[in-house]
Amino acid sequence: MSQYETATAESGAYGASHGGTPVVSFENVSKQYGRLRAVDGLTLDLRPGETVALLGPNGAGKSTSLDMLLALRKPTGGRIRMFGADPYQAVKSGRVGAMLQSGGLMPEVTVRELVELITKLHPNPEPVETTLKRAGIAQFADQRVDRLSGGQTQRVRFALAICGKSELIVLDEPTAAMDVETRRLFWNSMKEEVAAGRTLLFATHYLEEADQAADRILVINRGRLLADGTPAEIKARAGAKRISFRLDRVDEPFLLGLPGLVNLDVRHDVVQLQSSDSDATLYAVLDAGYRPSEIEVTSLGLEQAFLAITAEDDAANGTTHAEETN
Amino acid sequence: MAGVIALTRAELSRLAHNRRYFIFTVAFPVILYLLIGRQVSAHAYGIAFGAYYMISMATFGAFSGALNGNAQRISQEKKEGWIRQLRLTPLPANAYVITKILVSLATTIPAIVIVLLLGRFYGNVHLPGWEWPVIAIVVWFGSTIFAALAVAIGYRFAPEQVQPITLIVYFMFAILGGLWFPLSGFLGKVGQFTPTYEAVKIGSDVIGNLAVPAGLAIGLVAWLGIFVALATLAVRSTAESV
Repeated sequence: MSQYETATAESGAYGASHGGTPVVSFENVSKQYGRLRAVDGLTLDLRPGETVALLGPNGAGKSTSLDMLLALRKPTGGRIRMFGADPYQAVKSGRVGAMLQSGGLMPEVTVRELVELITKLHPNPEPVETTLKRAGIAQFADQRVDRLSGGQTQRVRFALAICGKSELIVLDEPTAAMDVETRRLFWNSMKEEVAAGRTLLFATHYLEEADQAADRILVINRGRLLADGTPAEIKARAGAKRISFRLDRVDEPFLLGLPGLVNLDVRHDVVQLQSSDSDATLYAVLDAGYRPSEIEVTSLGLEQAFLAITAEDDAANGTTHAEETN
Repeated sequence: MAGVIALTRAELSRLAHNRRYFIFTVAFPVILYLLIGRQVSAHAYGIAFGAYYMISMATFGAFSGALNGNAQRISQEKKEGWIRQLRLTPLPANAYVITKILVSLATTIPAIVIVLLLGRFYGNVHLPGWEWPVIAIVVWFGSTIFAALAVAIGYRFAPEQVQPITLIVYFMFAILGGLWFPLSGFLGKVGQFTPTYEAVKIGSDVIGNLAVPAGLAIGLVAWLGIFVALATLAVRSTAESV
């Protein structure tokens, strides 16, 4: 896509000059709604140029965290900084472009008029035509905003997030309501935004998206950070391989003592286990003299890793998480 | 400030396509004036009926324009997340409300000007030159009160609640304020405390060359204070849900 040449030429304009200051930092941030603790002692830093996915089940505190980051809500405890300053100031100085699912559009105007309006509000704007092309909305720029499909509306929201030269882009479920092809185009153009040196933080429930697009994943559940690492690290941490085999005389205590074991499931002569080190686990079975049949070793996707991490957390916490402090 | 101007422009161009707005602010008062305004021998508030009705119809158009369109729009835009979207842009936090009030001030001008012209050339209202702008400004100032009330209602209530609430407020202030016909008796006494009455009475006292009682002006400013306070409270208390 040649439309991106202008932006890559300016590579380094975003974020590169910020050295040690994290783009975003949460210090022990909490948010309480009445008796519900939506965010519970969240601490994290985003570094310039990173593409970070925020993963978590519904109600995990993703939206609340993004709302607080974007100065829409105030934390009950802790402190959030963006570019070393108060989030409100960062938003108002145009250093962050954001797209939230709950963000609405002005009706009764055309797409182009709307993009022009928001562009005018930016201290450091991109040319309107560039934004229209990058967001893939140039072909329906003269249509009225209130007559678009869900996927088109989503792309217009995205355009509003990138119409200024912002160093940080925050996207909440950016590809919701997009079909598979549009989603692929979206991530292609997003990769180009990031290649220009921007930092990207996005929340998603499409795990393959996080796996492919992010170089760092934050898993949150019950308002707390459970895992923080590359997609590969997250998978490894959850016990990323599944081993299954048949064994005539199953000795459960022995199996439970296997190295790397994360999870064990035995049905009659079928053994299924999850391991963080599948080689060591399998060698231990063989070394003990067992000769299982129909051995299968499969990689777990990020989805199973994610489910394993959050399920483990839910089981460990039951209903007591609200009383905890970090 | 540049942001406020850009947003105000966009809002005005939206409004230019809105028929409902013209019916409420311009068409209703014009039709009523054409029907009732030319009663040669009648008097109200100590001045010719045509002059009184000119002021009350200008006030009616301005106040209903400020109230009806805005409250509904604000509430709708809050529900649909447009206010939230604007909060994500470099536009300062209070700019949205400032814009709404500016737009409201701008949109009441056609109703005021058209009704005053109608009074002069259809209702045969003859006034010294300086009284025209004074009357226009009193009516205009009166409408800002309702622009503030519209913000309070729009932020506080959901769109489907806004409709009946603004209708009640609309009828109450139109009838009690003596905008459609002058009131007497008990209702007339109660009506004297409404901002709509106060605006019309200040205007008619100016025309009748009477000293404008300080109480009327104080009343108008007090209403403005109350509605601005309500609007501020509504905006602040909904800050986390907008």
